[in-house]
Amino acid sequence: MATGLTTIDYLVVAIYLVGTLALGLWIGRRVKTGKDFFLGGRQLPWWAIGMSLVATDIGGTDIIGVGGAAFAHGLAVANFEWIGCVPAMIVAAFVFIPYFWRIGVYTIPEFLERRFNASLRSALALCWLIFMACNLGIMLLASAKMMGAMVNVEAVSDWFGWEVERSLAIARIQWVCILATAAMVGVYTCAGGLAAVVYTDMIQCAVMIAGCLLVVALGLIEIGGISGLREGIAQHESDTLTESEVGDSVDAAQTRRGRERTSLILPVDTATPFPWTGIFFGLALILSPAYWIGNQAIVQRSLGAKSEFEAKAAYIWGALLKNIIPFIVAVPGLIALVMFPQLEDGDQAFPKLVSVLLPTGLRGVFLAAFIAALMSSIDSYLNSASTIVTNDFYRRFVNVQADEQRILLIGRGVTLLLVLWAIFFAGYLMGRSEGIYAIFQTMMAFFQGPALAVLMSGLLWRRATGTAALIGFIAGVLSSIGLFALTQPQVYTALGWKPLFQISEPFLYFSVWAFLVSLSLIVPISLCTKPDPASKQQYVVFATESQNGEPR
Amino acid sequence: MTVLHEIGGFVRELFLAIPLSVVRVLFVAVPVLLLLWVIRLPRERTISPDGEGLWSENLKYGAAAALLVQIVIYGIL
Repeated sequence: MATGLTTIDYLVVAIYLVGTLALGLWIGRRVKTGKDFFLGGRQLPWWAIGMSLVATDIGGTDIIGVGGAAFAHGLAVANFEWIGCVPAMIVAAFVFIPYFWRIGVYTIPEFLERRFNASLRSALALCWLIFMACNLGIMLLASAKMMGAMVNVEAVSDWFGWEVERSLAIARIQWVCILATAAMVGVYTCAGGLAAVVYTDMIQCAVMIAGCLLVVALGLIEIGGISGLREGIAQHESDTLTESEVGDSVDAAQTRRGRERTSLILPVDTATPFPWTGIFFGLALILSPAYWIGNQAIVQRSLGAKSEFEAKAAYIWGALLKNIIPFIVAVPGLIALVMFPQLEDGDQAFPKLVSVLLPTGLRGVFLAAFIAALMSSIDSYLNSASTIVTNDFYRRFVNVQADEQRILLIGRGVTLLLVLWAIFFAGYLMGRSEGIYAIFQTMMAFFQGPALAVLMSGLLWRRATGTAALIGFIAGVLSSIGLFALTQPQVYTALGWKPLFQISEPFLYFSVWAFLVSLSLIVPISLCTKPDPASKQQYVVFATESQNGEPR
Repeated sequence: MTVLHEIGGFVRELFLAIPLSVVRVLFVAVPVLLLLWVIRLPRERTISPDGEGLWSENLKYGAAAALLVQIVIYGIL
């Protein structure tokens, strides 16, 4: 069976891309001020924001990475979309998001200066900027990997007139993909800002869900439905039992592995990176609230909502959509396990399914869906990183008096620079083989725990002080990086230690410990330092709502 | 073995002793408790001040639906 794309597929993709670009540029005509660029003029409707939230969260990294993780470890990866999203989104919808909307901030670091001090604002803004900038490169790399697996290399080489080895041709195709994606997203994000991002995300969300559903439906038909999936997984477990597992308890070992492959709740001593302790304490209680309440790229679009009610409604709508996401991004990994059990790299599971299952034309639809997922995350991170640079650094430290036109110009310039950086970083990562999702999660875990500790203490505890929050945040980030270093074989071997964690990718645990380190410093230091003035304490969320919703 | 290993080992043994059936109750309890909280939210926090007061404009129902799906998922899988 052919594995490449045909002219019809490319045509479908081209139509989709031209449509997206046109929409973004059309919206860009109405952008006149910095507020239009960064907050969509605060005119965005809930239904568009809700879909944009989901599209931003499910990037190309997720389609490939979650599918790959499901292939390698089973359904437990779906926790990232379920308990790792829905509960935090509901709490955020009714408590924190309306509050941020009411006080009218542009960024979460801006809130932290109002509540604490400028140092903490800068520290968190810097962390977010580094994280988003690196993620831009990772996302572009995801697109390159996908293209390398899907396109007809020989046909593309002929079209470009390349007379080189296949591996070099694939590398060139990946570069073309990186440059094309970056250019497209860069153009419409520069032109239309947050409004362009949200409205294109909305279309991208619909295309992404439709495209992935298509793969799931055709995959299930191919393997005989849900029962075929179950039997295939059981067969796979039986075929891959190791000698140490086979003995007097073959059935027990087989049953346990089969159950782990299709269960959301895995034991502490599971061989996967998703033991229930990490999922519950690390993901559900730390990373998820940190993401849905404190992630600038996520929160920013709800700050652009038409009203406080619409900001809440967007999160509720997003939570409803989130419930279906694992069925379209994780289940394909399980289908690939049944169809291609010998596949060596989990990240190739989804591309392989697409190339085998989908006929000409529909393959183009899926590719458009993948590009949609990819672009929806890249544009969001581009816009949010630009918001942070412009508002938390330029407007705060360089030109406090800058007018709205100047801010718009700076925002667009920074967006352009970030596009160039993303291209460079994607090229740097291209030669490395680490799982895309693991890179993403590890980077998040470094500062999400401490960021949540600072944000929650600021929002919920009047006695928390700026000094304590800053010390707690820095110590938390350092402890997280320290834990990461101590899990590297070169480090713990040199120290003569055993590994600190007994699972392969303990990023969920980093966030828990870093959160605890931060909190355990914030509380006593706050109690030992002079309370912040009332002008700072008024930003505690529950104690400050006046009749009109503004902090007193 | 360092102090960090001792702490980690202690915590690990502690959690290993908890049966998975109890853990499942914990995972289901999260959306259940949130559902109860959502149901008890005052009406003015869940409806639009500019709306007509229709049930379809009450965010409580959407939030409850999202949480109910979670309860079913974690009860089964």
